Amino acid sequence: MTDKARTYGFETLLIHGGLEPGPAGATTVPIVQSSSFAHATAEDLEDIFRGRKIGQVYTRVGNPTTESLEKRLAVLEGGQSAIATASGMAAITTAVMAIVRAGDEILSSSSLFGGTFSLFRDTLSAYGITTRFVDPTDLEAVKAGINEKTRLIFLETIGNPKMDVPDIPAVAQLAREAGIPLMVDATVTTPYLATGKDLGADIVVHSTSKFINGTGSAIGGAIIDVGRFNWQSAKFPHFELFFKKYRGFAFTARVRKLIHKDFGACAAPMNSFLLSEGIETLALRMERHCSNALKLAQFLQLQPKVAWVNYPGLADNPYHQAAKKLYGDRFGGVLTFGLAYKAAAFSFINGVRLARNLANIGDAKTLVIHPASTICADFGPEEKGLMGVGEEMVRVSTGIENINDIIEDFRLSLDQL
Amino acid sequence: MNLTVNGKAATIAGKDNLDVNALLVELKVEQPDYVTVELNGDILERDNFGQTMVKDGDTVEFLYFMGGGNL
Repeated sequence: MTDKARTYGFETLLIHGGLEPGPAGATTVPIVQSSSFAHATAEDLEDIFRGRKIGQVYTRVGNPTTESLEKRLAVLEGGQSAIATASGMAAITTAVMAIVRAGDEILSSSSLFGGTFSLFRDTLSAYGITTRFVDPTDLEAVKAGINEKTRLIFLETIGNPKMDVPDIPAVAQLAREAGIPLMVDATVTTPYLATGKDLGADIVVHSTSKFINGTGSAIGGAIIDVGRFNWQSAKFPHFELFFKKYRGFAFTARVRKLIHKDFGACAAPMNSFLLSEGIETLALRMERHCSNALKLAQFLQLQPKVAWVNYPGLADNPYHQAAKKLYGDRFGGVLTFGLAYKAAAFSFINGVRLARNLANIGDAKTLVIHPASTICADFGPEEKGLMGVGEEMVRVSTGIENINDIIEDFRLSLDQL
Repeated sequence: MNLTVNGKAATIAGKDNLDVNALLVELKVEQPDYVTVELNGDILERDNFGQTMVKDGDTVEFLYFMGGGNL
């Protein structure tokens, strides 16, 4: 992208940033539904394999539709490059495994999406990678959690479903002092609320299946390399060759030429197309997600059958000031609330007619779920506590429908409890 | 000046030397934001492209992290 384009506003970047004209003047990204790509001569293919020439080889490693998506995502996060993956969990797994090795430690927020918690606690531990979990809003705990084995700090911009809001620039400062990268999962906030670069992250990961897709039509993930971290470090000898050859692109090169290639969790071209389509309306949708969520949270707060509401947009929320500082007057589309007990939460979910009961967030449709019995069912009371999940809790991903209809749907369901 | 670019002979007419940014333009190097430049065996810092001169007889390699690898 040219320097001129970098001066465009965010909404303009969503439409034009990183997007190059398609064949025959196509203004949307063509779906290149091909597993592999032929080249005229053996020399051409040799040059591509040696990295001397740009060219597509095999969709597991790269694909024109996916490459277009990657360039757009890099621009939106203020990054220098991006890698699209098959899912958000693939993005986290790939990005984390590019950094840590057996014997290393991850310092992670304890307030995580259940899939990430399970990856760190259960899956990676079997390969000699230890994760220490800390309250990400307690900077002293974060600082105390860093030791000589720590190679990565991992946070969510707004914890899902705990809805806590860590001071990411402050954690970024601690990471810089320790000489380790900060990886931030920005799925819940999206770059519309704040770019990874502005927050101080070194690497941003997304489940693009959520707000970036926006209509629940595709699974995808992304790894964005902000390009600020210096990988030439005794802590990262496994980056030495990549740094030597690719300098500031060392992380992207290690991911793309080794980990992503070997793990093979590549994005499907059709999904890359759908995710590109979603990008263009991200600002409009996020604006409505945020305003609807705030109005819904304010409505729920007034309902006698609702024990509590957790949404950082509410003035009395413990994370309101932290969120305001980082994200201005927008607080995302996700909120949680508590009813009297589990049966009431189930009854509420069974009573809504507009909202859909399913395990996703970021859809145009309003979604509800009972996390304790579904996405967090595998965790014991202690882990559920860390993740802020109670039996009485309902998570809501507020959609972009008319807010009066969402509120009426919730009102009618609360009335029948 | 005569250069060896990615293993092949290349001639840039009418120029005795060029800085690396100008060379990227002159040779119409694809996706210059993403390219790594190796001059006579040394990888160059991107920030130094404007101050690093390429002269007759030099060997230049343009490398990309995007493609390739064994499949």
